[in-house]
Amino acid sequence: MLETTENRNVEIMLDNVGMTYDAADGKKVQALTNVTMDIHKGEFISLLGPSGCGKTTLLRIIADLLQPTSGKVLVSGDSPREARLKRKYAMVFQSATLYDWRTVIKNVELPLEITHESKSERRQRAIKMLDLVGLSEFSDHYPRQLSGGMQQRVGIARALMLQPEILLMDEPFSALDEFTREKLHVDLLKIWRKTNKTIIFVTHNISESVFLSDKVCVLSPHPGRLSAVIDIDLPRPRHMEIRDTPEFTALVSKVRNSFEGV
Amino acid sequence: MSARPNSKRRNAVQSAVLPLAFGAVLVTAWQTGLLHKLLNTDEYVLPYPTRILTIIGENSDKIMENVWASLEVALLGLVFGSILGYLIAVFAAAFTKIGSGSLTIISSFNAIPIVALAPVIINWTKDVSPEAEVRSTVAKVVIVTIVCMASMSVNAYRGLTELPAFSQDLMKTYGAGRITEFAKLRLPNSVPYIFTALRVSVPVSIISALVSEYFAEYVIGVGRQIRENILIAQYSTAWAYIIVACVIGIAMYVLLIAAEALVLKKRR
Repeated sequence: MLETTENRNVEIMLDNVGMTYDAADGKKVQALTNVTMDIHKGEFISLLGPSGCGKTTLLRIIADLLQPTSGKVLVSGDSPREARLKRKYAMVFQSATLYDWRTVIKNVELPLEITHESKSERRQRAIKMLDLVGLSEFSDHYPRQLSGGMQQRVGIARALMLQPEILLMDEPFSALDEFTREKLHVDLLKIWRKTNKTIIFVTHNISESVFLSDKVCVLSPHPGRLSAVIDIDLPRPRHMEIRDTPEFTALVSKVRNSFEGV
Repeated sequence: MSARPNSKRRNAVQSAVLPLAFGAVLVTAWQTGLLHKLLNTDEYVLPYPTRILTIIGENSDKIMENVWASLEVALLGLVFGSILGYLIAVFAAAFTKIGSGSLTIISSFNAIPIVALAPVIINWTKDVSPEAEVRSTVAKVVIVTIVCMASMSVNAYRGLTELPAFSQDLMKTYGAGRITEFAKLRLPNSVPYIFTALRVSVPVSIISALVSEYFAEYVIGVGRQIRENILIAQYSTAWAYIIVACVIGIAMYVLLIAAEALVLKKRR
C-alpha cells in the first residue's frame, strides 16, 4: 500500500473496491468485490471478462458514473468525482453516442463547447482530431451517413478533444464486424502511441485484450472479482500479423485459463 | 445509398396519387348526382360542387373575414398551447417525481370533449372585456390553448427524457451541469417530438377553434357560419364554409409537414 502510493507512475489506485446492488427480490447482489490494483500512467489496460463479471461496473466506478459501496479509488490523488470535474477522463461507449442533429465536426467540437472554448480553437482542434482518426473528409457529414466503425472513430476523436489523461473505453468495438474491429485495433494503438494516454479498455474478447494491452485484468463472475492480472509482453508496435505468432496464441490460452468459475 | 432517395420519391408519388384519384372520383360522383343517389339525398341538402364554388366566389369577402377570425383563434391557441405545453414538459422533466404524475393529469385534458369544455371556459371568461368580440376571442383562444397544450406537454416530455443510450453519461464525463445538458442534449433531442405533437395539435387547433365558435357569444368564424347557415337552411352557403374549413385544415397540415421536412431533413 505504502509502496504503491510512493510510486509516482501510479495514475489510478483501486483499493478494495466493491459494489453491492439491492436486487428486486430484496437480496444483495455482489457485482464487484475487493478489487485492488494500480494502473500506471500511459498504460494500456484491459478489463476482460464474461457478462456479469463487473467489468463495466468497475469502469463506471473509475469514471464517477457509479459510486462504489466499499473501498476507495484515487486518480492521481483525487477522488473520481474531482478527477471527472477536472476533466481528466474521456469515455468511449458501446455505441458511438453521436448526436444525430450535429455534423461530424460539430459532434467532435461538443466537449469544447461545454468548456466554453472559443469557436476558432474548437474548430482547429476538431480538425486535428478528425485528422488523427482519419476522417477529415467526413467532417460535414451527419452521423447516420457513416458506417458503425467510422462513427466509433468520431467518438474517439471527440473523446480526445479535452486532452484527457485517461481514456475509458467500454466495449467500444463490440458492435462492429471482425474486419472493421481489427483495423480499429491498429488505429487505436497508433493513436495511443501518439497521444500517450492511459487507456482502460473493457472487453469480453480475449484476443482483442491480448492484442491491445500491456496488462489484461481478468475478472470472474459470481461474485465479480479480479482473478488474474496477466502481463502482455508482446513487442510494440504491434501489427495485425502478430495474432498468428505462437507467442500470441500462448498468451491467449494463458488468459483463457485464468478464468474462474465460468 | 442510391436506392433510398428513389424509393422515397416513389413512396411520395404513391402517397399523393391515391388520395388525389379518390378525390377526383368523389367529386365526379358528386357533380353527376351519383353521390346523391347513393346517399339518398337531394341537391338542396348537398349542393353540387360547382354551385358551392360559385357561392364561395360570390361571398369571398365575407368568407375571408370569417376565415381570418377562425385562423386567428386557431393559431393563437396553437402557439400559446404549444409553448405552455413545452414549458410544462420542461418542468416535468426537471422534477420527474412530481412531473410525470402531473403530466398524466394534463394528458387527460385531451379526453375532455370540446363541447363540454367550451361552455365552462366561456363562463370563466365572461368578465375579461366589456366587448363581446374580445370576450369571445379570449374564450375561444383559451379552449384551443388547453387542447393543444395537452398533446405538446406529453410529447415534449418524451423528447426531453427519452435520450439516446449513454448520452447522459457522456454529458456527465464532460462535467456538464443541468443547464448545459438541457441546452446541448435534451432540447435538441426533443425537436422531432415537437413535430409529433404538432401533427396532432395543428388539425385539432382548427377543429377546436371551429367548434368553440358554436358556443361563443360573438357570431363570427367559419365554424359559426356553418352552424348559422344550417339553422336558416342555407345549405349551399353552409357547404361553402365546410369546404373552406377543409381547405384551411389541409393547408395548415401541408405547411407543417413541409416545415418538418425542412427542419428534420438532416436527421433522417
